[in-house]
Amino acid sequence: MRNVVKALLFTVILFILIIISEVVLIPGLDIRKNGIFKQANYELLGEKKNTIDVIFLGDSLVYSSISPMEIWNNYGYTTFDCTEAAQVIGDAYSYLKVAIENQHPKIIMMEANVMFRNPRKRKFKDKIAYILKQLVPIAKYHDNWKKYIGGFSKNNWINPDKGYKYITDIKSSKNKNYMSFSNEYEIIPEQNIPYIKKIIDLCKENNVKLVLVSMPSQKSWRYTKHNTTLKVALENKLEFIDLNLINLNIDWKTDTKDNGSHLNYLGAKKVSNYIGKYLKNTNLVIDHRNDIRYESWYKALEKYRKASFNK
Amino acid sequence: MSYFDPGFIFLAVPILLLIYNLVPKKIRPIILLVFSFGLFIFISKWLVVFLILSILTIYFVANYLDKLNKKRNELINEEPDNKKAIKEKYKKYKKRILILGIIINVSFLFFFKYLNFFATNTNLLLDLFNIDFNFKIMNFLAPIGISFYTLEALSYILDVYYEKIEADKNILRVALYLSFFPQIMEGPIARYSDTAKDLYAGYKVTYNNFCFGYQRILYGFVKKIIIADRLNFLVNTVFDNYHTYSGATILVGVIGYTVMLYMEFSGTMDIVIGIGGFFGVKIKENFRQPFFAKNISEFWTRWHISLGQWFKDYIFYPVSLSKRMKKLTLKARKVLGNRFGPLISGAIALLAVWSLNGLWHGAGYTFLFYGMYQFTLILLGNIFEPTINNTCKKLHINRQNIVYRVFQSVKMTCFVFIGELFFRAPTVKVGFGMLKRIFTSFNLHNTLKSNQLFTLGLDIKDYFIIIVTLVVIFIIVILKEKNHNIRTEISKKNIVIRWMIYYILILSIIIFGAYGPGYIPVDPIYADF
Repeated sequence: MRNVVKALLFTVILFILIIISEVVLIPGLDIRKNGIFKQANYELLGEKKNTIDVIFLGDSLVYSSISPMEIWNNYGYTTFDCTEAAQVIGDAYSYLKVAIENQHPKIIMMEANVMFRNPRKRKFKDKIAYILKQLVPIAKYHDNWKKYIGGFSKNNWINPDKGYKYITDIKSSKNKNYMSFSNEYEIIPEQNIPYIKKIIDLCKENNVKLVLVSMPSQKSWRYTKHNTTLKVALENKLEFIDLNLINLNIDWKTDTKDNGSHLNYLGAKKVSNYIGKYLKNTNLVIDHRNDIRYESWYKALEKYRKASFNK
Repeated sequence: MSYFDPGFIFLAVPILLLIYNLVPKKIRPIILLVFSFGLFIFISKWLVVFLILSILTIYFVANYLDKLNKKRNELINEEPDNKKAIKEKYKKYKKRILILGIIINVSFLFFFKYLNFFATNTNLLLDLFNIDFNFKIMNFLAPIGISFYTLEALSYILDVYYEKIEADKNILRVALYLSFFPQIMEGPIARYSDTAKDLYAGYKVTYNNFCFGYQRILYGFVKKIIIADRLNFLVNTVFDNYHTYSGATILVGVIGYTVMLYMEFSGTMDIVIGIGGFFGVKIKENFRQPFFAKNISEFWTRWHISLGQWFKDYIFYPVSLSKRMKKLTLKARKVLGNRFGPLISGAIALLAVWSLNGLWHGAGYTFLFYGMYQFTLILLGNIFEPTINNTCKKLHINRQNIVYRVFQSVKMTCFVFIGELFFRAPTVKVGFGMLKRIFTSFNLHNTLKSNQLFTLGLDIKDYFIIIVTLVVIFIIVILKEKNHNIRTEISKKNIVIRWMIYYILILSIIIFGAYGPGYIPVDPIYADF
């Protein structure tokens, strides 16, 4: 019995110490308001309020295809990847709510693949990773100790990735036609349909333009998904950009990190450039590069370049 | 899959411990066996068939050998006058059975590890002689830990053959000995007499064993997650693009690789020993402060001890003490004298050990070269030892003096670095290329000026963490060398100090560990051997 009490006490103290470390290391000034878990799991909360113009929702296809720093560098728009590996649409909706509470985005670009992911069929590995991420948020931010040595404080927190995951690995695929025409429609899992409606309504309520977009992927995307997404877009008067049908000069021999499933940095540069051009044409967002209030974005760019160089 | 996966060590293992403790004592070994096979199947899928075949062959071979031993003894009792003839006759029988067991087990190893190497080299020879025939090169995965469990399997039947142990009638105990999950990936190569009985005893997991086990596991995590995984990117970058780096940077890469290998492998051993401790099984240490060795020969009694001991017991002694070698020694003494004569048989046995040791690590010329490099160093050490001894005496140099000991350790460490360079290099040619650059293009000034060391994925803070952690480990290693039992000493401290140490360890791993975005963990290096 004595040992059980000792073990429990040890665990409680350890838990307290981990929480203290989390309070110190997890970025964002609103940790008291949001709580550790929320602050840690929504990376966007580390950004200053009302500074992000465009939000990208979606799974790994987004964080490997869109680099907000490339868009900032070339166009001066502030964007953020609100993503998660194997994100399901319910989680995309929750992230969107958090994003709208803390930012005033002009455009939300939702990657269409999340509409087709069945939350019940999520891989066991992904479920475990998701639970661990929720339970031990420090695992994601532990490396922030380095920033303290360089005179870091919560006030000058800079996130150079803005949700993007920088990957330079090349695992080639063939440049094949994976988008052969089809008349058939991919089925959206029934439990996802209410969330699509909720996302559309939330954007309407907040006067935010919602755009559906598909990221280049030989393995995750096909024409049947294109057909269904187009139908959803037409029914709800939304724009739909299928980057799998647009010529972005993706070279699948060099621009993919895992044999055609996800893009690497070379591919992400091409997609980010296209998205930048698209945003410019909407006339809804403005170039902040000469705005002193966005100085931290230049510092982030510097860090992003340095990190890219080191890798 | 690695023993360092949090899901394995902090979820699967505790669940196993809970179930293990809840079931009756008799069932506990079965639980261990089921878990071990489950893990093997999880990693190697259907290749578990080969593990089962190894278990079956050694079980039946050992029991047959035992039967022959008993029959021989009965016959000797009945006919004591024919003792010699009976012994000879049965020795032949036993040898045949033993060879059959060895061939079956070694053929699995050969098939999975060496067939492609053999086929590629034969094809090169055939091409050289313009023979229009090529062996097909096949790509397949080997069963996890085949190099380790095959040596364990062989040691079991050899020990029964030499009558050091009796064959086990319980096939489940043999199966558990060969498949025990913490040892399957990277060893240590246990002997049947060391672990089998304790493994099958079903000892309860006590509170003390639990605490001691996890303390050891945490120490392993510090080595692997804070140091080895942090060095991984640096090592890969330098070895993959050595021609773009100065000699100084290459040297940092080589030192980094040696440290990484030591931290990864000894860290894994900490986990293995920690897990063994949960079940009351004392798994022998596989490292004993290797960098305190005086020479390469001693280094190999401190680094990967179980492998060195295996080769010593089952290759070196049988070869050097064979009748032929004894005859050769007699002849050599006559020709070369008493000093160099006996070295000949030792050298032949050593050559056999190091050729096999090199090849055991992998089918490739770099590993063979690595083995020959160690062989040459040890042989030269044996030849010149008397000369060095005499010279030191004449010059009044005390070889036990601390300065001389440090000199010996530094010299030995430099030899180790060169060996590990070839061990990690993709080809022997690249190894020589790297070595050449270290000596011809060192360029320390330019390396520091151009910040080349900070272009290898590590910043100054990473180097700082590596050095601080290594200093702490070095202090622990010195204390161990001085025969301090650190864990027992910590357990005698009062609870506040004890817990503070544990909290510092745990938080250091969580905060300073090289995991998550931007880090690539080291794959279990020895699991590939």
